[in-house]
Amino acid sequence: MTGEAVIKCVVWDIDNTLLNGVYLESAGEPPPADPVLADVLRGLSNRGILQALASRNPPEAAQYVRAVTGAEFAAVECGWGGKAEAIARIAADLDMPLDAIAFVDDDMLERAQVAAELPDVLVLTPEDAAEAVDWPQFSPGVITAEARKRGQLYAERRRRQAAASMFGGSRDEFLRQVGTRITIRPAQAADLPRLHELSVRTHQLNSAGDLLSEAELTAMLGTPEREVATLRLADNFGDDGLVGAAILARDGAASITVPLIMMSCRALGRGALDALLAWTCRAAAQEGATELAVPCLVTDRNVPMRLALAAAGLRAEPGSVAADGRAIFTRSLAGDMPDLPDWVSVEAAQ
Amino acid sequence: MMGDPATVDAELRRLLAEVTGRPELRGIPADTALFGGGVGLDSLSGTLLLRQVQRRFGVDVAAEDLNLDSLESLGTLAAFVVERLSSGSK
Repeated sequence: MTGEAVIKCVVWDIDNTLLNGVYLESAGEPPPADPVLADVLRGLSNRGILQALASRNPPEAAQYVRAVTGAEFAAVECGWGGKAEAIARIAADLDMPLDAIAFVDDDMLERAQVAAELPDVLVLTPEDAAEAVDWPQFSPGVITAEARKRGQLYAERRRRQAAASMFGGSRDEFLRQVGTRITIRPAQAADLPRLHELSVRTHQLNSAGDLLSEAELTAMLGTPEREVATLRLADNFGDDGLVGAAILARDGAASITVPLIMMSCRALGRGALDALLAWTCRAAAQEGATELAVPCLVTDRNVPMRLALAAAGLRAEPGSVAADGRAIFTRSLAGDMPDLPDWVSVEAAQ
Repeated sequence: MMGDPATVDAELRRLLAEVTGRPELRGIPADTALFGGGVGLDSLSGTLLLRQVQRRFGVDVAAEDLNLDSLESLGTLAAFVVERLSSGSK
């Protein structure tokens, strides 16, 4: 499989994807169509690409989407079952191979589950979908170099998903098998635009929930009490570049605080957040701190971040969520440290 | 019935095998650590497991357990779910 098969059908989520809001949560009139994606929908239809819906909503939601976008849907799956099963039924209905199908959903976990269960499907965020119309998978004709590069990234991801779904062993065995390489090193000036972008775009793997301007980041790079560590991720399928960062603050002698740790959802399931937390514990201990503290927003969106904190041995006082929505997760830096696998390399400042 | 410990245990094993894609995990001892080691649950598979638990049992572990200590093992997770189901039923 090349991962670059031409897409013949796009399966869309409804809530917070084709609609600017949640269909069932609206009191009166349901939310309007997302104008950008409604355009994409029409543009793709004009190229002869079919459209379909897969949504955890009653069937009326599909009629509503049809009315507000003016689009025709070749297949509609509204119900409470899984999206992977819905997509498989759509593929069977339309008699289409799974690698001719793209799936667009704003929810990272829905995307992850479809990617794991149907690795041949091209899985996209709404932001991706807005620009994907220029990728080779959607337009076999003339395309730009930049669009080819982004399309390539997704082709790599599809090949990785296919390999993961066929692999029978543990996650770590898989990461080793595909030649995962993680590099942690101090941030440099050239990294600042990407770090700012990550602070804006990450939610589910973001501890603080605050975005950082390039000016704030620049100030931190020049402050001895702050250390900004970046994480880069690559494997045999491709190079994802800078996908995550942690900021360490040396405010007191005994404790090091992490005002922000964040990771792109591209790195989810690939050991990157665990590696960054393990490195953070070790780096703090090396500096002579006895305790690590990570203030973390507690919401239903960043559960993946809380799971990673728990796995790295950090705990908060039960019931200690403050008025700002944060709890302080801490751990002692004495004794056993979380493992840093041998595919992680740590580079010092030059 | 749904809150019966044996049913919860069997269902959690099925969900764990499903979210990790590893059918052999259905047979692990109930006290096997889910993070690290043999199971190697991570933030992705762990969140998928919690979401399936919520869909299947209506128990929102992430909202009720700040530290997610109930994910220590299948045994602790089953105990948490059974406890919530019995305290929630009238």
